[in-house]
Amino acid sequence: MGKARRPVQIIILIFIVILGSYAIGSAVLGNGSEKPQIGDKPPAVKLLGLDGKVHTLDDYKGNAIVINFWATWCTYCVKEMPALQQQWEKWRDQGVVILGVNTGEDKMTVQNFTEQMGVDFPVLYDSNNEAVVRYGVVPMPTTFFVDKKGKIASIHEGELNLTTLDDQIKQLVKP
Amino acid sequence: MIKNTKCECGHQNRVGTVLCEACGKPLYEISNPDELLEMRYDGVARRSQRSNPNFIDKIWNFFSSVKVAIYLIIITLIGAIFGTIFEQESNFVNFDPSTFYKEKYGAIGDIYYNLGLSHTYESWWFVLLLVMIGASLVICSLDRVLPLYKALSKQKIHKHMQFLTRQKIVYQGPIHGDAAQWVLQAAAVLKKKRYRVHVEHDALLAEKQRFSRWGPYVIHIGLIVFLLAVLFRGLPGLHLDKHYWFPEGEITKIPDTKMYMKNEKFTVEYYTEDEMSEEFRSTGKIVPKLFETQVTLYECTADCDDPSREPQLTEVKQHAIRVNDPLNFKGLKAYQFDYDLTPKLRSVQPMLVDKVTGEQYGKFKLEMTNPERNFDVGPYTLELKNKFMDFSLNEQGQPISKSKDPNAPAFLFVIKGPDLPEEGSQYIYFPKQIDKERFQQDSINEKLGGLQNKLVLDVIGMEDVDFIQSSSYLNIRIDRAMPYVWTGLGIVMLGLIMGFYWQHRRIWLRIDGGVLTLGGHTTKNWFGMRREVASLLKVMGIDVEEKSLDNGGNRS
Repeated sequence: MGKARRPVQIIILIFIVILGSYAIGSAVLGNGSEKPQIGDKPPAVKLLGLDGKVHTLDDYKGNAIVINFWATWCTYCVKEMPALQQQWEKWRDQGVVILGVNTGEDKMTVQNFTEQMGVDFPVLYDSNNEAVVRYGVVPMPTTFFVDKKGKIASIHEGELNLTTLDDQIKQLVKP
Repeated sequence: MIKNTKCECGHQNRVGTVLCEACGKPLYEISNPDELLEMRYDGVARRSQRSNPNFIDKIWNFFSSVKVAIYLIIITLIGAIFGTIFEQESNFVNFDPSTFYKEKYGAIGDIYYNLGLSHTYESWWFVLLLVMIGASLVICSLDRVLPLYKALSKQKIHKHMQFLTRQKIVYQGPIHGDAAQWVLQAAAVLKKKRYRVHVEHDALLAEKQRFSRWGPYVIHIGLIVFLLAVLFRGLPGLHLDKHYWFPEGEITKIPDTKMYMKNEKFTVEYYTEDEMSEEFRSTGKIVPKLFETQVTLYECTADCDDPSREPQLTEVKQHAIRVNDPLNFKGLKAYQFDYDLTPKLRSVQPMLVDKVTGEQYGKFKLEMTNPERNFDVGPYTLELKNKFMDFSLNEQGQPISKSKDPNAPAFLFVIKGPDLPEEGSQYIYFPKQIDKERFQQDSINEKLGGLQNKLVLDVIGMEDVDFIQSSSYLNIRIDRAMPYVWTGLGIVMLGLIMGFYWQHRRIWLRIDGGVLTLGGHTTKNWFGMRREVASLLKVMGIDVEEKSLDNGGNRS
């Protein structure tokens, strides 16, 4: 009688431990903000690009990715655009991708702007603000640096100048 | 020390058995032999009772203890009290808890926040307590229900004399005639009282409503379902509680779902002066009488995840959302939460007019977002070159937009046509009259080429202006765990009814040399039980006072 019962006991206890730790774990983690943190995987997004194609982060797997949230009406975003473009030209052959996520403006505005600025790195439309919400972007510009392993290496809020941008990208590319 | 658990009837009982599993003889001699028997779980050993428990048994024993369960419940209740001192974080939308509690309640508020009590019910220790109660429920039940089930399903009819005389209802007295005959007669009477009767020569066992014994365990199952539903509400897709803006006349995607919602019309009505009491009127407050958002809910059926295509939407529901009357579609609920009556320009239909002759060439529709780029108006073609939603000039004097909201929209066209240069002529257009003056449309156009003396873009009447009149702020909720919560509570109710409205009644009797010994047991309602036994004896020709059947004592 006693022998048959032991495995049942153990199975039930294991079950309770698994369910319990899941419940406690999600309670503890759920309290933290939903914003991605340094070391996290960047949230998956699927956005339409200026080129008319759909872009996801998986398209750039194995590359270091600089995700920059911007808008034409944000002065600092406009100011840092040339720096981003310059770094794109410098690093694009070394597995670095710069993604400019435009926050909720229409095609015409974005197209005119990128033409005017001479931007040719991939620019994506976040027309429903989905990426903004997923990434918890509050001030603009906000830039996420994702290393080649697909983890967020750093998050920068505010304007980036050429040198800081260069330093950050060097960190990403460093093996 | 190994205890001898073998009964004199020859049955080998398990450690912890109180009454012999076979004949019912008490295995522990008590100082007072007349004391009532301990009938809980029919005297069988709980599963976890072992002679030498190991580590796993010790955990098992801890959770199988009802005493521990009661302490856990008390601690949980006390913990829950802390969560009621100040309002919880989950009550607010968009606020900063790190300053809120300090500002509102001072130092105590700050301590409260830092102890994590501002989210008591989501804190790890509270969830841990709930998990432990859950473990206790499962283990307590298993530990008792299985042995009890076994004991009740293999009851012996012929019981030990002490088992009968130490019940709470006892009768002993002589009978006349044949013992076996008497037992059969009694069996017939008991059957009429809807007892299930088992006879063995001169002994009898009658019982009814045994199912009520399972009531408590059914309650436990219900509570476990309830607890699981509450603890796992956080699984992805099961729970959503967010607030979003829905501008009037627009189809807006509800994030994290496949649903889209169109705010057809938002209405707010206020109480008029006449409807308010004298007292209220003097306060000068404006009180809304009705907020209503007429919405149409759409479900995306194809191309939902492909941003390069327009999603295919199917209308699934229409509803007028009012306070306390949410939209409800398959568990997705939308509650009226707030509104904003600031109008926003959606589109204008300006008329191209010849400034000199006054001839009207025609209207075209200019959308604020994603406008068309080329328009043919009369003999002219207009190409939209650029647009600025919130027009301004930067330090270098270049036109920029200050935000993406159409607060001061401006459109830059290149117009081609008769008497105009081949490459066209630039013309800036401010739809709002106030902006025309503020930014001096005419003087900008003068610098752009002086087209303003020849052609004018202007809206003729208000019907050519389309506004988003208002926006409605809705609370979108999905709570797919709720059906499980209700199911759990339903099972609890079922268990309560089983246990409360019925009682497991048993009567044992045996005849030894012309003397009848009867013992009766019920889970509750001893009064009714005594009455039933007295009426049985009466039919059998024995008159007894109901109260005299009571063997005293308080054990049930």
